[in-house]
Amino acid sequence: MNLKTRRIAEIDRVIHEPGRLMLVALLSAVEQADFLYLQHETEMNKGTLSSHLSRLEEAKYIEVVKTYRGKIPQTLLSLTADGRQAFQQYRRRMKEAL
Amino acid sequence: MQSGPEGMKMDQIEKLVQRPLLYNNVDGVVELGLGLMFLGTALFQWLPIQSSWWHRYRSSLCFLLLFAVIHYGVKAIKTHITYPRTGFVEYRKLKSAWLSVLVFICAIALLATCGARFAARSHWDIDGSHWGMTTPVALIGLVIVVFYVLHIARAVRWKWAVAAALVICSVAIAMLPAGVVGEVGGGTSAIATLSERSFGAWLLTITLYGAIFLLSGGISFVLYLRHTQPAAETVE
Repeated sequence: MNLKTRRIAEIDRVIHEPGRLMLVALLSAVEQADFLYLQHETEMNKGTLSSHLSRLEEAKYIEVVKTYRGKIPQTLLSLTADGRQAFQQYRRRMKEAL
Repeated sequence: MQSGPEGMKMDQIEKLVQRPLLYNNVDGVVELGLGLMFLGTALFQWLPIQSSWWHRYRSSLCFLLLFAVIHYGVKAIKTHITYPRTGFVEYRKLKSAWLSVLVFICAIALLATCGARFAARSHWDIDGSHWGMTTPVALIGLVIVVFYVLHIARAVRWKWAVAAALVICSVAIAMLPAGVVGEVGGGTSAIATLSERSFGAWLLTITLYGAIFLLSGGISFVLYLRHTQPAAETVE
């Protein structure tokens, strides 16, 4: 197996999925954002977005905080230190592999 | 172009990383705030030179009031209009790398302005002292344009026309006859001193910039209200 092939094999599958990649890329630039913002930017429906966020939360790449904005429920999402590191590594590996 | 997962280009990923930063002015409120601040600053700097009744302490007080209105006004619009429609974002603190980039851009702008000044002087034989007073103002204007392009104009195509209008304003003010600029700064065209010319150029710049920002922000705000609706309150 050459180095390039090995790099592709090492790519993080959790982040590699396009929907989750969009979410991680957006969250990487901010301290935190809410569910509505991510839905607006990615144009995903609520079910799909929730499913991707659950997968990222399972991997401990994002932190989910349920709160209220006045009387309206708000879900705040932020990238964890692990998530930030994983995304940086992903970008580096993709640049090396392509 | 490099391709990532399922045709997603690496360039697109990099653009996605930049999107939240451009979201700050999605509603045009940043421009509205800038416009009000510039126009207010111009007004409160111009009033003391026009009327002996208007003292400096009044200007300082009005400055504080204006900044409070802009700060809390922007916050209120974001909280009650923007966040319920297109979502909430909290930004990360500015990194030192960004500061280096900004210093670099300012240095480039300085060099470009000095180059343009010497080129213009040699071609049109314009009075050097006048240029000496208006060039720093034009330079400040160009630095503002660079900030504007980096943080606002990149997100929306028509805002490049706004950036172009800002540059044209700066150049036009630098080209104005010394007497006209000096008169705005407090003197008459006959006795305008260098500092009055400089001050006049500054007043003209922030007035025109303020008006342009206000117009551009107003258009963005109306378009934002037209194209977005408050989100339905459902479980996420």
